[in-house]
Amino acid sequence: MDILTNWLGNMPGFAIPYALAALGLIVSERAGVLSLGAEGLMLVGALAGVGVQLTVHEPAIALLGSMLAAAMVSILFAVMVVWLRVNQVIAGLALVFFCQGLTGLLGSLMGWTNMPVTGLQNLDLGPLVQLALVGGLFRQNTLVYLTPCIFGLVVWYLNHSLSGLRLRAVGENPQAADAAGIPVLRTRFLAILAGSALVGLAGGYISVLSTKLWIAGMTGGRGWIAVGLVIFARWSPWRAFAGALLFGCIEALIPQMAAAGISLPQYFVLMTPYLVTLGVMVWVALAGKGRDQTPGALGEPFLREERR
Amino acid sequence: MADLPLQQTAPSPVPPRVPHVPWLSRRYALELRQQLGWSQQLVIFVMSVLVGLLISGAILVAAGVSPQDILNEFVVQTLTDPQNLRAVLFQAAPMVMVGLAAALAFRARFWNLGLEGQMVCGAIGATFVSLHEIGPPALRLWLMAVCALLAGLVWVVTPVVMKLRLGINEIISSLMLNYVAVNFLLHLLYGSWKDPKDAFPYSAKFQPFERLPDFLDGFSSAIVLSAVVAVAVWWLVDKSRAGLYLRFVHSNQRVADAVGVPVRRMVLGTVLLSGALAGLAGFMVAAGQEGRLTQAFYNGYGFSGILIAFLARNNPLAASAVAVLVATLFVAGRSLQVFYQIPFSMVQLIQAILVICVASSDFFIRHRLRAVGSKG
Repeated sequence: MDILTNWLGNMPGFAIPYALAALGLIVSERAGVLSLGAEGLMLVGALAGVGVQLTVHEPAIALLGSMLAAAMVSILFAVMVVWLRVNQVIAGLALVFFCQGLTGLLGSLMGWTNMPVTGLQNLDLGPLVQLALVGGLFRQNTLVYLTPCIFGLVVWYLNHSLSGLRLRAVGENPQAADAAGIPVLRTRFLAILAGSALVGLAGGYISVLSTKLWIAGMTGGRGWIAVGLVIFARWSPWRAFAGALLFGCIEALIPQMAAAGISLPQYFVLMTPYLVTLGVMVWVALAGKGRDQTPGALGEPFLREERR
Repeated sequence: MADLPLQQTAPSPVPPRVPHVPWLSRRYALELRQQLGWSQQLVIFVMSVLVGLLISGAILVAAGVSPQDILNEFVVQTLTDPQNLRAVLFQAAPMVMVGLAAALAFRARFWNLGLEGQMVCGAIGATFVSLHEIGPPALRLWLMAVCALLAGLVWVVTPVVMKLRLGINEIISSLMLNYVAVNFLLHLLYGSWKDPKDAFPYSAKFQPFERLPDFLDGFSSAIVLSAVVAVAVWWLVDKSRAGLYLRFVHSNQRVADAVGVPVRRMVLGTVLLSGALAGLAGFMVAAGQEGRLTQAFYNGYGFSGILIAFLARNNPLAASAVAVLVATLFVAGRSLQVFYQIPFSMVQLIQAILVICVASSDFFIRHRLRAVGSKG
């Protein structure tokens, strides 16, 4: 019973980074930009968060710093894919390795590596904490409670606002959107920046609120898993949220099993998130045939002069 | 009204003077270029590499290395010091392998990002032969190489079959398998394969006959092996029938399929070969540089392979040349790490900057800006 309670209580801490990163990816991919750079942007967010936190000691500002830093770095990616029309796979990979190199370099030159920071205090939701089994879910930091709100806002924006409709139009059929007078390139540029800020927030969550320190390469492939999660969710935010909870449950289970005295080979247990990602991709491929919801122009650069 | 036609038809003795419009206030339009001569393409390519190197140099200077030291580490040392040249070529051997592996996969339009995982499996395969003392000592090294080839090949089977059968994106699947392979490596090195002699996470040292021998004094036979493989791959993609098919597959799979090229079989074979070469790279590092299975030997090879194939435009011979340059970067990066406390991530950053610059320069090959009059 205790284990179950602990497990559920720890789950959001693992699930939120996946959820936020996947949401950020959905924003830019719905505008037709294939964002493979999530892993790198998460690292940038993580490092920036720790850096700001070490300087100003204010978690809220640190998280804003993560968002800002990731958005700034993503300008490089946006210029490459939107204006210079570089192949989006090459640009995304280059961004990941650029960020890995940059954060590794800055982290050690600035002396931010392995420096512990103070995170956010947990916020109890009054009597709900006393609930059996699920009580742990209501003793979390503020960002955990905010995440469903962010999801709600983004879903409302994408589905019910004019600007969101334009963003989706640009991702589905940029030629038609262009003919309707929507500035395709500007929309994509802004979508990349906004999406990257959310991915950076996910990175900041990992470093400032979860592990509370910076280590080079600390995201450990979570950005790539988020890319897989978006495919699994077929570009729908709420499905991505559900997928993130699933991954959170799996990751939160790893320390709980050790605590319960179940001894499994450690490194095989560490493989599970990656193997589960492979598994869900197979499942989507087998189950989702004929229900292709990929944004129509995903990965295709737009140039008005290149009419087809 | 009457004199208007006259004005229009009368030839003007001097061409009308175009008012000078400052560069920034002109209006520009993007145009697609049909074809650019190879010499101009080369100029743009070289310029973009230079820009990338300048930016990297500026970052190094900002990190506290003087320009003179940069020149010394990267150029003078490599060209004048035979010891350093040997180190560079030794480092280049596995680089050539991963570069060829990436180039082959890209020719089949398969983003093989699992090069590191395939390398890890190759090294594990080679070490397996060594630890279990399979085969007579005279054949041991060959057996290790073959086992590494097979292990690398096996590791790429899953993503390629998943792509061909189910249409699953190979970028994610091959990357996920990297993490699985690395965790398996750690499982072995912290577990049953740990060297009983000391507490470090690496396997027992290979026997002398399990190490890649020197070919000429100080020049490892890994260099010869990689040169042979490079020529073989060049023959395969440039001269053989399979290479011709592969070019069909690369330019348009649907048309290739329609004219009777066995597309699936070509993709499968090429990608399997790519995985096998990456496995061989793992063998070269384990039996060459390290002499045992270590826990982070694969670091950086995956992206370097992609960079090499990208800069060489998937040409095997060009890839070998680029691999030597990237190896220079690695060797210089290690000495920067030792003498200037610059973290090795710098090497990764420089490579990423180079890719970004060269990829962006393609824009100027494919488009041009043309002034179409003034704004407003």
